[in-house]
Amino acid sequence: MNVDNTIHFEHVSRWYGQVIGLNDVSFTIPKGLTALLGPNGAGKSTMLKLVTGQIKPTTGGIAVLGEQPFSNPRVARSLGYCPEIDNFYEDMTGRQFVELMATLSGYKGQDKTQRVQNSIDRVGMSDRCDRKLGGYSKGMRQRIKVAQAIVHDPKVLVLDEPLNGLDPLGRRDMVNLYQQFAEEGMCVLISSHILYEVEQITDRILVMYKGRLLAQGGIRDIRKQIDSHPHRITLTTDNPRKLAGALLLDDTVISARMPQNNNRVVEVETAQPEKFYSNLADIILDGGFEVDVFQAPDNNLEAVFRYLVSA
Amino acid sequence: MTADFRLFLNALKDVLSSRRIFIALFLMVLPAIIGLIWKSAAGERFEALESYNTLAAGLVFGFILTILSVIYGTGVLSQELEGRTIVYLLTRPIPRWRILLAKYLGAWLAITVTVSISEVLLALAMFGTKLSGVPLMSDIKIIPLGAAAYGALFLLLATLLSKPLSYGLLFAFGWESWVPSLPGGFSRWSIMAYLRTLAPHLQETAESTTATGGGGGGGDISEILMAFNPVSIPTITAWFAIPIITLVCLGLSLYFFSVREYSPKEEAS
Repeated sequence: MNVDNTIHFEHVSRWYGQVIGLNDVSFTIPKGLTALLGPNGAGKSTMLKLVTGQIKPTTGGIAVLGEQPFSNPRVARSLGYCPEIDNFYEDMTGRQFVELMATLSGYKGQDKTQRVQNSIDRVGMSDRCDRKLGGYSKGMRQRIKVAQAIVHDPKVLVLDEPLNGLDPLGRRDMVNLYQQFAEEGMCVLISSHILYEVEQITDRILVMYKGRLLAQGGIRDIRKQIDSHPHRITLTTDNPRKLAGALLLDDTVISARMPQNNNRVVEVETAQPEKFYSNLADIILDGGFEVDVFQAPDNNLEAVFRYLVSA
Repeated sequence: MTADFRLFLNALKDVLSSRRIFIALFLMVLPAIIGLIWKSAAGERFEALESYNTLAAGLVFGFILTILSVIYGTGVLSQELEGRTIVYLLTRPIPRWRILLAKYLGAWLAITVTVSISEVLLALAMFGTKLSGVPLMSDIKIIPLGAAAYGALFLLLATLLSKPLSYGLLFAFGWESWVPSLPGGFSRWSIMAYLRTLAPHLQETAESTTATGGGGGGGDISEILMAFNPVSIPTITAWFAIPIITLVCLGLSLYFFSVREYSPKEEAS
């Protein structure tokens, strides 16, 4: 288990007394941006604390950049962590806080000053960094937490619910920033319990639920794993009855129905979505249907998550 | 500025935080104020040296040194845990033992300075500026040793227990008040007994308070026990014992801090 530039878990379990926090989890996270998705209590924070070396696994092995991370300064040198907690040394300014973290990372003098300024600039806090942390808004605190996490140019960046408290504009800025980090070659791991948020960040996800890893990979890849689960597609047309009839003739379609509350919609279920999509164009063109809206709600993360949890 | 020195300064800054500085200032002047009240109440019968020894033994060493050691010693770790800021320290590329050592040294300096100032103010209140013949310097010399030993012990409690302050207070004002008085060599299990050995006037005062019913803390039963069990630790033993206690407790603290988990409770549950 010596995988460089990655986070690697091998049959990792973590118990808190009688309560299991993480249950036999194995995965590898390569460079790039990966989202850790799950509801509150799923085990996301436990996993991130294991990655960042704050706690030890009860069983199994963890390697971050090829080394076990617990109480390991070599791993910490290459790892940045933005915790979910909203706690700081409140009497410090944002700059002083980031400076302290840079000092604890071993930087001094001009190099430290430059790094601190760069980090603050990158998170968009240049004009507010000399104010006391105690007076910061939630969004500003999130940004400063990210600044301290990147001040030492880590190879692995772990962000626990980093978009909490940010306004829509701030979210967009920060998502762009995380994507930049990934493009620069960092391994970025972001946890979130908000599905649409994750969809906007990346399509590579780990889905956690009750301490178990339910699925991993791209959203579409995960969707492909769910072969037996019917895939829903919604079409809005001027002649839903005729379209439903035509669709039922296709052997990829399991069912086609018209909801009672909307007389322009056809809901189709298929177990072979890829083949269905390639057939659909012909069906529409051959029948001369006018399709105004096409939706594949099962392609979104919420549907994947809902399915995985119920499975 | 190195990471260690910055942590040391931060530990000092924590100690000097607005809430704690008032406690420290109050404890600095408390013995002097009590001494002045005693002086004015006793009038011509006032014995400056006896009063000084009694207050130094009972109040400065028996109370201020121990209470500050409990607060600052356990606070080195518990303040970061309660504030949940420990997460930032533990995820930095600095060995854990260095984090704790730097913070311990900051706490040690704060205890030493506060207790020393308290002792000096007490001496000035008792003797004015005529300090010749006053055992002030012998007290000042052992304050750093006491601060180091107590600080390390309470730091060890903080690394091992979830409520170190409560256990620290029990030790400071239960164990340290009673155990030196118990028969059967129990005094060897008390840091205060070693400190009194190094500053004999404190020991004499502790014994003499048996007769007067005042001083260093135990109450009637402990005074009776002390009368039957005079402390007799050789000075050389005390000189070795205190550094050994300090090194063992500090070493264990650094070890446990390096191998144990210190995750804020709310997250772990």
